[in-house]
Parts: sequence; structure tokens; C-alpha cells
Amino acid sequence: MTFEILAQAVINGILMGFVFALVAVGLSLILGVAQIINFAHGEFLMLGMYTAFWMWALFRLDPLVSLPISIGALGLLGVCVYKLITKRILDAPRLTQIFATFGLSIFLRSMAQFLWSPNSRMVQNSLVGDLRVALGKVYVGAPQLVAAAGAILAYGVIHWLVEKTEIGRAMMATAEDRDAASLMGINTEQMYTLAWAVGSACVGLAGGLLTTFYPVEPNIGLVFGTTASVVIALGGFGSIKGAFAAGIIVGLIQVVGGFLIGPAFKFAVVLVVYLLVVAIRPQGLLGKY
Amino acid sequence: MLPVAVAVIALVYPKVFRLPYPQHVGVLVCMNALMAVAWNITGGYTGQVALGNTVFFGIGAYTSSLLLRDFGVNPWIGMLAGMALSMIAAVVLGYTTFRLRGYYFTIACIALAEIVSAIVVNTRRLGGAVGVTVPIREASLINFQFHGTNKAPYYYTILTFLAIALLVVYKMERSKLGYYFRAIREDEDGARALGVNAAQYKLIAFMMSALFTSMAGTFYAQYVMFIDPMSVLAQPVSVSMCLMAVLGGLGTLWGPVLGALTLIGISEATRVTLGGTGQAVDLMLYGLLVMLFAVFQPKGLMGMFGRLKARKE
Amino acid sequence: MALLEVVNLTKRFGGLVANDDVTMSVNEGEIVGLIGPNGAGKTTLFNSIAGVYNPEKGKILFRGEDITQYNPEQACQAGIARTFQIVRVFKGMTVLDNVMVGAYLRSKGEADARNRAIEVLKFTGLYPKRDYLASALTIADKKRLEMARALATRPTLLMLDEAMAGLNPTECQAAVECIRAISREGITILMVEHVMEVIMPISDRIVVLNSGKKIAEGKPEEVSADPEVIKAYLGGKYVARS
Repeated sequence: MTFEILAQAVINGILMGFVFALVAVGLSLILGVAQIINFAHGEFLMLGMYTAFWMWALFRLDPLVSLPISIGALGLLGVCVYKLITKRILDAPRLTQIFATFGLSIFLRSMAQFLWSPNSRMVQNSLVGDLRVALGKVYVGAPQLVAAAGAILAYGVIHWLVEKTEIGRAMMATAEDRDAASLMGINTEQMYTLAWAVGSACVGLAGGLLTTFYPVEPNIGLVFGTTASVVIALGGFGSIKGAFAAGIIVGLIQVVGGFLIGPAFKFAVVLVVYLLVVAIRPQGLLGKY
Repeated sequence: MLPVAVAVIALVYPKVFRLPYPQHVGVLVCMNALMAVAWNITGGYTGQVALGNTVFFGIGAYTSSLLLRDFGVNPWIGMLAGMALSMIAAVVLGYTTFRLRGYYFTIACIALAEIVSAIVVNTRRLGGAVGVTVPIREASLINFQFHGTNKAPYYYTILTFLAIALLVVYKMERSKLGYYFRAIREDEDGARALGVNAAQYKLIAFMMSALFTSMAGTFYAQYVMFIDPMSVLAQPVSVSMCLMAVLGGLGTLWGPVLGALTLIGISEATRVTLGGTGQAVDLMLYGLLVMLFAVFQPKGLMGMFGRLKARKE
Repeated sequence: MALLEVVNLTKRFGGLVANDDVTMSVNEGEIVGLIGPNGAGKTTLFNSIAGVYNPEKGKILFRGEDITQYNPEQACQAGIARTFQIVRVFKGMTVLDNVMVGAYLRSKGEADARNRAIEVLKFTGLYPKRDYLASALTIADKKRLEMARALATRPTLLMLDEAMAGLNPTECQAAVECIRAISREGITILMVEHVMEVIMPISDRIVVLNSGKKIAEGKPEEVSADPEVIKAYLGGKYVARS
């Protein structure tokens, strides 16, 4: 009996881990290429979820159907934020960079509260809402399964983009050394824009997928944003592979830790693990610097 | 000249404004200024973006309140106990995080604060998620409680705390500590090459910051008479104290005070004009201002005034 | 007894051996030049002495004290001050404040530190620019500020990491004069330099590294005539160009 509960917890943890991984990959891409941690990344996710929610509430579009809209909307938001804000502080001290995006996160969070009230909202009867798959006595919710599949697919696409295409190589060259890349004839401005667009589109996708089984509220970004920061730090800043792997690990730690110590501590357990890891390896698990 | 004028205005303020509300705003400004001045020691002078000061605020608030509730200990002694405990916490925090640089450090601070919050929320002995009500004692300075509508005694208490903090920072600016703190902010490796034990001095900055933040925490508990994890241990508490320092001007004596004055002013003004729904609008303005200042005016309000002054001359 | 002794020092980075069994010494009052082609291990040796790296084999003795496992601040407190190849001045602080940071190491109180700082600024000729922000200085002045800052700590041994790199001939000459003046004050100097021409005239002794090993040591004229040094340098230049 306990074994089945544990198995259930492990499966749920891994599936949630894929969503964390997707959010973190977006954050990692922006950090890797554009050298800035977007502390408003969690709020971007919140906006992605609200986009999906309102598409459903106003036009009865299922979150899975409106995925292209939430992906596109967040990609556009990323580009706007880069062009209007972070582009101006590329070479600013880290303090400035932290506060610029921190300010943005507070702005977006309170804007959501102002416009849509602090209440949490949930999409009802989504396409995959109540379906679940039985594996013996262990059940796997279809929304979680779809979300995990979406995350894997997106990671595959990003991995292919970064590793196999000309654009990806140009992006990595920009990440490595902006001046050298620009001497080689790479349009680094375009690469930064692209990183912000793709990185933010990741949370558009994650938001849409999450909405099928997770309620949305203005403060949701706090937990997801902090988790994503912890995930990329664990994986090592700038490592997309590391971010993806760490995301799954964090999902697992959260659920299993919550199972062993108590659900109230599931977020704290992740943070303790983070502190332990950086205490031994200050540059994260797969980090180079 | 200016400091004298500021001091006079600060001293006569509650004599001119005798209604509870403006006096309450005065208390809020001083309390937040104290927290921002404290944060500025690590964040502004030493350049360590420590987003976990809420831990010290919480320790200050919880230590005095629990000692009073459970053992009848006088809140002033409770405040001293809280300050001592915060310094110990700062040493522990410092040792866990001082090897980390940049973002790793900032995230570690956030993590530590969240862990402390989770522990308090889940410990019934500490009031859990419900919080702790501070027992009512007879109103007197000795008891650190003043009831009724006249908030002037609270105002003068917190103003004194703030003045002490400003004096300490003023002295620090002109001493070895101030030079070493700034050197660490500018270039840690360069500072170490000049014999500066960076880890030790970062720890000192942390401890100073913890001390004053903890004082503010006890004051908050004695003023509001109720504390819970949401109000004294949540991430936004950490963030708001550093935002005031950023807005006013990092690494300056008066910047945090100016920042507190501006942000409390904005939030109270929006609350009054927009009523209950204004709750989030003030935060929207906060966020927008901080973002705009970080991007366009990284030296804060103090930097802006400095430039105006330079132009006049 | 030598002021600084490096005995059989080996420092590895992963599989790469940066310093291989290096033994050298610096006597009190000398100016010693440490040269070698790119990748010879000069900077590694320099950083090991300054406490940035902790070598796994061998010993570094300073005034007879084992400083092998010291960190940078301990090295400085022991009396070894250094400058950086890529300048690390405190950009947001004034020239005077930069030097004050160094001066505090062995001063009692603010007035004492200020006096020491002003003394050093006058000595290095930066006094007229004392109120400039360090970020506003030219490269030559920034390098000089690093020297001033290091001097303010009252070192026994001053280590200069490519103090001439990036300077024009006039600035180079001024820097050479400054180094000679420091030496006349009785401070021992160990300097790393990539370009041989600069270092030869002022050094009492030269140590040459190549591929992590010491290949020659002696008076400048002896070293420059050493066939192995010539070979290493020609090879080095060839590699550097390709």
C-alpha cells in the first residue's frame, strides 16, 4: 500500500518536474545568451496561464487549442521586454539587472491582481481534464501526461535549434563572446531578441499546459519563478541540458520530500537541496563557472 | 544645513499632525527607512544582493513577542535577545552563502528566507500560520506599548532607532569598514589583494544589517501587536526594504530614507485616493518606478539630486 | 637567506601542468623579472605566490615562513602586494579612496591611513588626480593607481603583473622610472613581463619559464644569450602568431 502511494508520488513528481524543466529551460536560454536572469520569469508564466484561462473563459477555447496563442503572446512579451527594458542594461552592474526585472515582476504581479482580482481561477472541463491512465493501482492524470509530453517536445525543438541549426550556432557564439560573435558577422541584437522570444515562449507553452490542471492566481509566479531560479542554479547557469535535468530532479525531490517530511515542506525541501548542492559545488551541478 | 532642517521637521512632525493617520504614516516611514538603511549596509555599501533580510525582521518580531507571551519577558530585553539571535543567524547565513557569488548568492538568500518561513508556518509552538498575538500590557515606555489614538510615542521611539542607525552608518562611511565594504562591492578580488579579508567583512556587514533589521522587527510587533509569517517572513518584505534603498540611492546615507518616504508616500496616496481596490495599484507603481529607476537612473533619487546640484554650480 | 623562495613547485589544472617543478628565489632589494612566451606558466607562478592558487606540490617560503597555502589576503598581510594584468581598480571610488583601502592595512585610524595614502599618491605622481573617479583614468594611470594602492599596504615584496602591457613608449618610460624609484625605497620587486625588451634594462636578475618549466636564470645579458631561451622565444612567437 505505502509502496503504491510512493510510486504515485514519484510519477506525479516526475511529470511535474517536466513542467519545471520547461520553465527553467526558458529562463536558462535567456540567461545563457543574454546574460541576465529574468526575475519576472515566474510572472511571465502567470501571464501565460491567464492567457490560456481567458481564452477558455471568453471564447471557450480549450487551453490545449489556444496553445499557439499563449506561446505567441508570451514570445511577443519577451521581445517587448527585451527591446524596451533589458536591452538598455546589458552592460550594467548586476545589481541594476536584478532590480530591473524584480521591479517588472512586482509590476506584473500587482497588475494581475488589479485587473483580475487575487482569486484563484481554474479552467473547467478541459479536453483532457478528468481523464487518467491506470498503471496497475497507480494512476496517471492525462493533463499531467500531456504537459510532460509538451515539455519534452519543446525541449527537443530547442535542443535541435541550439545544437543543429545555423541560428543555434550563432546564438551560442553570442553567448560565448558577444564582441567576437559580432566581429564574425553575427547579428547579436537579433540573437538576444530571439533568446528572449524563445525563452518567454517556453513559459507561454508551460502556462497553457499547466492551466489544464493547475489553478491560476496572481501570486503563482512567486513559487514557480523561485523554483525555476533554483533549478537553473542547480543545473548550472547557462546550461540548457542542466536546466532540463535539474527540473525533473526538483519535481521529484519536491514530491518525494513532501511525502517523507510532510506536504507543507515540499518547497522548502527543494531549497535545502539547493543550499546543500551549492555548498559543495558553488557553480551548480553542470555549471562551468 | 539640510540635515538640521530634516531633523527639526522629523521632531515637530507629530506636534503639527495630531491625528492618528498622519502619525501612523510617520511611523511607517521611519520603520521602513530603518529597514532600508539596514539593507543598504549589505546591498548598497558592500554590494551583496541579499534578498533574505526578512529572516532578521522575523527573528526580531518573533523573539520579543514569544518571550513576552510565554515567559513575560520585557519587550526591550526581548529586542536585545532578538538582536543577538539575528547576529548569530547572520553568521550562520554568512557562512553558508559567502562562498557564492552573484546570482547564486541572491538565490541562496531567497532560499534561506523561504525555508525559515516554512519552518515557522509548520511549527505550532511558534504560532504556525495563524501567528502570534502580542499580550497587552499597561501603556508605558518600559513596557514598549502605547495605546490609544496618540501614536507620537511610537513615532519618537522608531525615530530614535532610525537616528541611531543613521549615526552608525555615518560613522561607518568614514572608517576602515566603509572603505573595505565599498572595495568589496567594486572588486572583491582586488580588495583581497590589498589584504582585505572579504569573507570576514561581508560577515560584519551582514551582522550590522541583521542587528538593525531585527530592531525594526521587534518594533513592528510591538506596534501592530500581531505577527504572522505572511506579514513578517514573506519574500515581499525582503524585497520592499531593498527597493527603497535602490530607489533612494544605493550606498548613500540618506538614500534609503528618501526611498522610504517616496514609496510609503505613493502607497498611502494611492490607498487613500483609490480605496480598497488601490491595494495593488500602489504595488504596480512601486514596480514600475523601481524598474524605471534601475534602467534610467541607477544612482537613485540621490543621484538625481546630485546631478541637479552639479548643474546649478 | 633569500626573501622569497619557491621550491619544487608544481601546479596542475586538471590534466594540464601549468608549473612543473619550478625552483627560484628573490633576494632582498632585487628587481627580478619573470619572463617567458605565452602559456609558459608565468601568471600561474605569480598567482601561486600571491595566494590565488594553492599548488599541490612544492613550497613557497617568504621570509622563511611557509606561505604555500595562503589565500590572497593572507599573502598581502604577510607583506606581498600585487597588481593585476587586467586592472582591477575600484572604478566607482576616487583615486584617493582607492589608495586609502590599501593604506588601512597597516594604519591606525583614518588620519593615519589618509596620510599614508597622500604620501603614496605624491610618490607616484597621482596626487593631482586624487579626486578623479578611478574609472576616469587612462590605462597608464590605472596601472599606476594599482601600484600606488599596493604600495600603500607597505609591502616588503611588490609583484607587478605586466605593468607595461598596453602602454605607449612614453608611458612605458614613466612606469620604468616609477619602478626604479620604488626599488630605491628598499622594496623588493618581482615583475612578470611578456616583452623582453622592457624588462631587461631594469632587472637585476631574470627567470625564464617555458612550458611550465624554468629554463634559465641569471643576469639579463647571460639570459638573453642563452640558446635555449632564444629558441623558446622564437618558438613562442611563432605559436603566438599562428
